[in-house]
Amino acid sequence: MTDLALFDLAARNARWLGARQAVVASNIANAHTPGYKASDLQPFEETLARTRLTPTATSPAHMGAGEAAIVRAGARETEGWETVYSGNNVTLEQQLLKAGEVSRGHALNVGLTKAFHRMFLASVKG
Amino acid sequence: MIDPLAAAMKAAASGLQAQSMRLRIVSENIANAESTGATPGADPYARRTLAFHSALDRAAGVSLVKAGEAREDDAPFRLDRDPGNPAADANGMVKRPNVDVLIEMADMREANRGYQANLQVIRQSREMAAATIDLLRSGA
Repeated sequence: MTDLALFDLAARNARWLGARQAVVASNIANAHTPGYKASDLQPFEETLARTRLTPTATSPAHMGAGEAAIVRAGARETEGWETVYSGNNVTLEQQLLKAGEVSRGHALNVGLTKAFHRMFLASVKG
Repeated sequence: MIDPLAAAMKAAASGLQAQSMRLRIVSENIANAESTGATPGADPYARRTLAFHSALDRAAGVSLVKAGEAREDDAPFRLDRDPGNPAADANGMVKRPNVDVLIEMADMREANRGYQANLQVIRQSREMAAATIDLLRSGA
């Protein structure tokens, strides 16, 4: 629905934030796994540019289809603050900062969606 | 594909499980820091360690963490002279476990920190899900 581009954008942003939260959770879970490299998603702007057209999964056997898969495919290994002897470069502090960013972004997203909705209802009710 | 927030919680839960397994092994080591063998010359308790490895959950699209099998540390045992001990050999030497309580304490703190970080992720994911659901409530 092009008329409600704001809602569409908010939904995409929420999906990206959810995916990023999952990536950060994986990093934190593997904070003490030897050889594990921390990964992160590409910034939302880049993900947005790549997901204008998305293939649709028409069968559960399809792999890598749908927007969520594309968002996830954007995960890249990142440089951590430090790499320990076991080859692990997850720093809990860094990951918790990222989790904080996600949390703040999500609060903003939800707040904006609420505001859009209020405006929308106000215009409908007249 | 499951909801990414649920996937995040799944990853954090695997982290909680792995870290608590590690805490269990650490507490076994500390509890047995002075456990000698029962018969003369017998080997004492050997320190056990746990290795983590990551496992990709394809359905959820996240890397979970799994605790591997606990394996014995092959570091040499400490030798103490204590002829009165039932575990003393012909020369009066007793083998003591290769557990260094200081290292175990450090390991325990690290496991604790990892556990708390995972707990924080679960708490935060739950708040995010609650905020999303809250959109329905305040929409009227």
